[in-house]
Amino acid sequence: MVNSTIISIGLHISIIMIAYIGMPSIKTKDPIEQPIDIVDDTPISSQTSLKFGPSNEKEEDKNKKDVVKEEKITKLSPPPPPPPSKEIIDKKNNELKKQQEIKEIAELIKKKPKLNVEKKIVPKVVTKPNIIKSSTPPKTVTKPEQIQKKQKQNLAKGLLNTLSEVKNQNNERKKEEVNKTELLNKIKKMAGNSNRRADEKEIKLSITDINVIQNHITKFWKLSYAASEVDIIIPLKITTNTDGSVNSVNIYDKAEYLKNKFYRATADAARRAVLDSSPLPLPKGKEKKFQNFILDFDTSFINSY
Amino acid sequence: MTKTLNQILFNILALTFCLYINDVNADDIRIKINSGQVEPLPVAIADFTGNEGNSNQIGRQISEVISNNLVGSGQFKAVESAAFIAPPTSPSVRPNFTDWSPLGIKALVTGSVKNINNEEIEVEFRLWDVIAETDLIGLRLTVASKAWRRVAHIISDEIFERLSGDSGYFDTRIVYVSESGPQNKRVKRLAIMDQDGENHQYLTDGSFLVLTPRFSPTSQEITYLAYFKNEPRVYIFNLETGQQELLGSFPGMTFAPRFSPSGDKIIMSLAEKGITDIYTMNLNNQEVERLTNSNSIDTSPSYSPDASKIIFNSDRGGSQQIYIMDANGKNIKRISFGEGRYATPVWAPKGELIAFTKMHKNKFYIGVMAPDGSGERLLAEGYLVEGPTWAPNGRVLMYFKQDRPVDDGKSTNVNLYKIDITGFRETRIITPSDGSDPAWSPMLPN
Repeated sequence: MVNSTIISIGLHISIIMIAYIGMPSIKTKDPIEQPIDIVDDTPISSQTSLKFGPSNEKEEDKNKKDVVKEEKITKLSPPPPPPPSKEIIDKKNNELKKQQEIKEIAELIKKKPKLNVEKKIVPKVVTKPNIIKSSTPPKTVTKPEQIQKKQKQNLAKGLLNTLSEVKNQNNERKKEEVNKTELLNKIKKMAGNSNRRADEKEIKLSITDINVIQNHITKFWKLSYAASEVDIIIPLKITTNTDGSVNSVNIYDKAEYLKNKFYRATADAARRAVLDSSPLPLPKGKEKKFQNFILDFDTSFINSY
Repeated sequence: MTKTLNQILFNILALTFCLYINDVNADDIRIKINSGQVEPLPVAIADFTGNEGNSNQIGRQISEVISNNLVGSGQFKAVESAAFIAPPTSPSVRPNFTDWSPLGIKALVTGSVKNINNEEIEVEFRLWDVIAETDLIGLRLTVASKAWRRVAHIISDEIFERLSGDSGYFDTRIVYVSESGPQNKRVKRLAIMDQDGENHQYLTDGSFLVLTPRFSPTSQEITYLAYFKNEPRVYIFNLETGQQELLGSFPGMTFAPRFSPSGDKIIMSLAEKGITDIYTMNLNNQEVERLTNSNSIDTSPSYSPDASKIIFNSDRGGSQQIYIMDANGKNIKRISFGEGRYATPVWAPKGELIAFTKMHKNKFYIGVMAPDGSGERLLAEGYLVEGPTWAPNGRVLMYFKQDRPVDDGKSTNVNLYKIDITGFRETRIITPSDGSDPAWSPMLPN
């Protein structure tokens, strides 16, 4: 009893684990949010300048900025720093601007999942002024200058590199797409024309139209049973007038006609059948389609005799 | 790298698509005609015109023979000359086709006969396609006046070949056993005639019994079994000299002889001490080779056209069946597995079929099958039908048929018949008396 209970629990646990690991709908982990962490690493002290510096954000996309700010606030919640000097504020302001620009670009690079984030954050944007109003200036985290510089350089380099790669990739993709679309357009043009031409010939011809002609010629094709010795197909090129009368009958394979006595006799019989069946019952209004056409005479049916 | 590959793949697909489109549109409308009428072709054979004397008479006779040949083949239908609108024309004059096409005629034969001297004539003919309004073939022959019938057969072969695509078989002869007298004292003589039964001649006088005559590949010799002085022996008859020659000297009875395709050997059965086996004899050096060695009766051997195989019948399996073996007597294999007994197998000239006699439930049949025994078809049946022989083109079989005895149980009719391999048209060959054991010659040398 105990054993079976343990086994049952074990099995249930293993099934739950497999379901948790294997089914994406259960396991909710979103690795796409990683780029935001880069923004988190930026010096936070400059944020205090928001209080004193000019507001440059009007021209920018407010929504995206707010997303970044919101995250900064929620994640770090630093203590308010002491009021800095004007030079430091300007300097840091500029740095902040740069970082924000980079951040915005990075945000732009992000893919669709961002949209969801935006939607979620939209109501928080409204609270932003409140936060600013209520917040006290954050503490300045002092870091060694060298480290700061390096960090900035690396960050900028990395982002720029990424951006340049993305730009290049985008350009190549665009070029490929353009090439493909051009080629496709060309093909479509050709296909379109061909299909139109094919349509002009084929769409209008029904199976009945063909059957009527087949049945008509069949009545006139008289063959010897000797033809059963060889299964061959004899193509004849036919030209007709619009009234269905046969204008000419030409045997395609002249070499075989001269070489093979059976082929010659059968081709002659086929030619007689076509001439004898003139005028052909061409479908009304479609006579022009039969000005030039091919009849393939197949002797294999004699085997059934 | 991947991009380049993608680009190449894309271009290939695009090119294939374009080619497909071009291919589709390159041809005009195509309509397949896969049915027709397998029926006799209507032909008009105008009387051959003559210039003087008896040439008109010969001309009419030649036309009649040609007409009989073509109609007898089952592949042509001759339109009655009474229906002709236009009079017969010389072969050098292009006919007015509108006079012939309304009669449903598809092909027209015109010809002429000229007397060169009292003994020779010049015969000319031309075959016209009435529908295509063109000539198909023409021929001019100079022969002895007496040979006009053979000229008619040669012309028949030319017409047959040009219109059907198959080789003709009209310029051939038949050798057979002519039978006369009561059943208990039957006189059997060798006789020879044209394939249509004309030019009949006896080769032996009936003083001894003859059986199973067979032509040599040159048509100039005949091998047969004769009971000369009550001893059954295989003989060879030379048609040019009229001489008969005994084929070797064997301790037992020899029978069922047949020439090899090259004509340098004769294959036959030799019975000794109740055992019958198959032997060959080389005609050049008289060497004898034994091919089978069993306690059964192996007989009726027949070579394949390429001489690589031999078919024969044997009761080695308990009942009479058809077997096949290599030309050296190895790899013997049974090929007949239908109900009843099988006998007298004969290989067709083109090698694609084997004709045989079948006995089943008190009836006899003539049939054909493939050399592997498949596709058995029975063409004729009767109280007694036996001994099939092939026409040189492999389209017609000849055999003999014996009616059921009437009244006294002794008198009966034995006649020669021919039938095409579709089995549709059986025709009796008229002979002066009863006939059996026919053998069809190859095409006669010109």
